[in-house]
Amino acid sequence: MPVSVLMSDFDLPTRSASGFLLRYIAPRVEPVQLLSFLARRLPFRLSAPQSDIIIGVGHGDKDSFTGQNESVILEVGKYNPREVKGKVIKLLSCQTGVALGPDLIKNGAKAFLGYKDDYVWVMDADLASTPWADELAGTCLLPVVDGLNALLDGKTAEEAFEIEREGYLKNAAAEEDDLIKSCLEFNYDNAVLLGDPAARVRRRPNITIPLPPPPILLPV
Amino acid sequence: MANNEWEKVKEALRKPATPQAMKEAAQAFAQYEKASLGKANSRPTLVNLGRGTGYPHAVPVDKIPGELATNPQFYNLMKKIVTKEKS
Repeated sequence: MPVSVLMSDFDLPTRSASGFLLRYIAPRVEPVQLLSFLARRLPFRLSAPQSDIIIGVGHGDKDSFTGQNESVILEVGKYNPREVKGKVIKLLSCQTGVALGPDLIKNGAKAFLGYKDDYVWVMDADLASTPWADELAGTCLLPVVDGLNALLDGKTAEEAFEIEREGYLKNAAAEEDDLIKSCLEFNYDNAVLLGDPAARVRRRPNITIPLPPPPILLPV
Repeated sequence: MANNEWEKVKEALRKPATPQAMKEAAQAFAQYEKASLGKANSRPTLVNLGRGTGYPHAVPVDKIPGELATNPQFYNLMKKIVTKEKS
């Protein structure tokens, strides 16, 4: 069963976040990866019904989640419930936990993991072409990766949620910079889990890749 | 040093988003920025995954004072992040 992974990468924040997914999540999931210009509504509509998990990186607000160039992918009341029914959904996006997340659960999604306010972090803009090497961004984004890997290891939505939140706390305790620490605490406070905490997806093999992926060559 | 400066940023951001408060917060953040991130890393940038928020998706840390001084929406975002208060 494929995984729908949406990774928009048209600006600094989407490139940074998608870079971490590309490096740490994409290698262990089946090849239905909607990267860059494929992170749009039509490819999502075709692939989502066959997936047991949907993972998305993109800009969002209370009612909608978007892909490449902020093209709308999921919006309250404007999608087919078949696209989300029975799935665990993780959206790395702002505010989708307010209205979109509850709507996805109402339409049959098993569990939703997202954020009820903005998702914020500090990144190094000089590393936009190799975002996975960005230690500043990793402080916030690696807990997200750890939570997703837990889901793909067969852990429950609640276990994955707690792993992500514990990562923020651990990194905040070790962080010397006050702005980064505040971002970690803010994301910790705003992370939400909706639906069935015991929801799981099929376990995927854990692949340790020997080399990092090639740099993203698109201009910043 | 940076810790004291950060306390000043926090204190400044506790006020409602008036032009005076925004100016004070910008000055406080500029002092903090001199003593922290700017030295160690090449181009630290505060980013978010918001949509239609009224503030940029990416603000270089050294440009945060300018944004704080002129953009009430960004001021309110920073207020939430730094003070944990809802605007």
